[in-house]
Order: sequence, then structure tokens, then C-alpha cells
Amino acid sequence: MAESKGRPGSAGQRPTGGDKAVIGGRKQYFRRKKVCRFCVEKIDDINYKDIKLLHGFVAERGKIVPRRISGVCAPHQRRLTDAIKKARNIALLPFASSF
Amino acid sequence: MRIYEELFIIKPDTPEEEADQFVEQVQTQLTTAGATIDKVEKWGKRRLAYRIDKYREGSYVLLQFTGDANLVKELERRLRVADMVLKFITVRIDETLKRLEKRKKVRDKRAAKRATTAPPASAPAQPSLEKQMTETPAMPGLPKEA
Repeated sequence: MAESKGRPGSAGQRPTGGDKAVIGGRKQYFRRKKVCRFCVEKIDDINYKDIKLLHGFVAERGKIVPRRISGVCAPHQRRLTDAIKKARNIALLPFASSF
Repeated sequence: MRIYEELFIIKPDTPEEEADQFVEQVQTQLTTAGATIDKVEKWGKRRLAYRIDKYREGSYVLLQFTGDANLVKELERRLRVADMVLKFITVRIDETLKRLEKRKKVRDKRAAKRATTAPPASAPAQPSLEKQMTETPAMPGLPKEA
């Protein structure tokens, strides 16, 4: 129960990934629950040409932001990674930036 | 018949008329092969996210057309041979378009339903339940049972 920080590999323990308020343990920190931006704003189309949108889900070095950080839901993250990878292919987004 | 989208990058130092001519040529070739051009968009010069063949920028051209699968093969071969084309990507979009349309329809329908059921007092409870039922796998917050 209290080993919430221990293993990132056990995916079954944290299906949501975002909202962790450890209540049982000593450390009691509260984090705001993350919500999927695509669900909330009802963005249906995650297009690889929409660089402005995709830029928000790419880290500084060009890496795709994991959904445990961005809070995007799984179906949307799947679409998002597809789009980002397509955009990378046609040089709209970097594979790895700032060399 | 499928809908495809072809996005390609033309070298920045090719003269404008030459590039236009090339795009024109590609289009006529596609139409003679039995495709219909739906959309041609020139994005103009953009900075590339990374260097391609020592070029740091390029002009993007987007081409949307409806046609058969063998057309794509020919088009890609052509783009590969052309000197001025740095890179290209072909994306089949008819299925995505269909999916989007479906989503939109569902959304519109739901909105209409909500608009009609809004006046009664029990309105807020009903649509949200319905939404939960249809969207369970998409909502990350739900699977947690306390």
C-alpha cells in the first residue's frame, strides 16, 4: 500500500497514473487530478499536420511526453503518438532537438 | 477508391515556377491515371525540424486526392526520382475521415438530446450517466473503485 513510489513497472496498481494522494502513508501530499485534454476540449482529430497542438505534448528535447505526466487518456495517447511520429517523419517535429 | 494525402517537401532553392510546374505535372499525371484531386495546398517555406540533405528549410506542398492504391505507388516512385523533392509522406485518410464523421454525428446527436431533455429537473443526471456508459474505456478516472 505505502510503496507507491517503489515500482513504476506494476501497471495494475495505478491505472489512472495521475491522481495520487497517498492517504495511508506518512507523506500526505495532494496532487491535482489530471484530465485528458482531448477529452475535455473534445478534440476528435489529432492530426499530424497540427504542429501547434502536437508541440504541447513534446518535451524540450523532442521526446513524447508520457501520459503519466501529461494526463492524456490511453486512446488519445495512442493517436497522439501516431501523429507525432508522422510529423517527425516529414520534418515538422524533431526526432531529437538541440544538438 | 481511397482518399490519400501526400505531403512533400521541395528544396528551398528551386525556382518558384519550376516547383509550380512540377506540382502541376504531378497533378495532371494523377488525373490521367484516374484520380481526382481534392485539394492542393502550398504552405510556403518553413523551417525543417532537422536537417535534410544539408537544407534547413523547405517548401511544403500538400496534395489530397481520391484514387486507387496503385496510383500511390507510381506517385511515390515519381517523387523519389524527382531531384527537387527532399522528403514525402503518404497518408491514407479515408478511414480517419469516416471515424471523425461518426464521432461528430454522435456528438451532435448527444448535444441535440441534451438540449431537448434540459428543461426537466432530472436533466443533469441522465445525460451524464449515458455519457459514462458510452465512454467508459475513454475516461481515465473511472476504473478506480474505492
